[in-house]
Amino acid sequence: MSRDFATSKSARSTSSSAKEPNILGSGLRVRGRLTGAGDLRIEGEIEGDVKVGGALELGEGASVTGNISARSVVVDGSLTGDVNAEGAVVIRASARVSGNMNGSEIALEEGASFTGRIEAAFELPDGLMIGSGTAGRRGR
Amino acid sequence: MATVIGQDIIIEGEVSSDEAVVVAGTVRGKLNVDGPVTVEAGGIVEADVGATVLSVGGSVTGNVTATERVDLLAGGRLVGDVKAARLTIADGAVFKGNVDMDV
Repeated sequence: MSRDFATSKSARSTSSSAKEPNILGSGLRVRGRLTGAGDLRIEGEIEGDVKVGGALELGEGASVTGNISARSVVVDGSLTGDVNAEGAVVIRASARVSGNMNGSEIALEEGASFTGRIEAAFELPDGLMIGSGTAGRRGR
Repeated sequence: MATVIGQDIIIEGEVSSDEAVVVAGTVRGKLNVDGPVTVEAGGIVEADVGATVLSVGGSVTGNVTATERVDLLAGGRLVGDVKAARLTIADGAVFKGNVDMDV
């Protein structure tokens, strides 16, 4: 019970340090490199490479000029640069992308503006043998 | 929209914003914000900082210019010169630098 007294004063800071979502807001401009271990949401302007260990989302107002490397990438805004993702790369309808996309799954929504190459590399299940145990299609 | 630079994020370069910025991660280079900057415990800023209000609960190494005030909280660490009209240094904070309040 006495812990409640201590934590109630810093309740705000404990809840915020628990897992604050990383958001680079719309007013932010970065000229330089960005690296991170977890997820990140970008709404601002980045000139430089972005390397993130988790999921990366570029909001509709976001503008990134540089190469992106992340576990998964969703682009709603403007991107000039290459994308290297371990997993899925989703380019939404409002996106304007110029660059090469590399991932295990690439989705390009109707309405998106895209210039570049797409390379999706995924492993086919071991032959198409019955009883291989793993599902053939990923993540849908 | 406020910016939150989480504890696993490292930005190396020039960062500027016209809205509030919270640093729980690492910023190296330059940080210029037309608004409040909060460096949370665990946050590391190795840069010259410009802000309206700077609140230091983490570590700031660099010269600070604040148009309104600088608050160095207990547990916070500031190494660098401070130019601000108002300044508070809490008991337990660490500070090394010059202070110029004649803004």
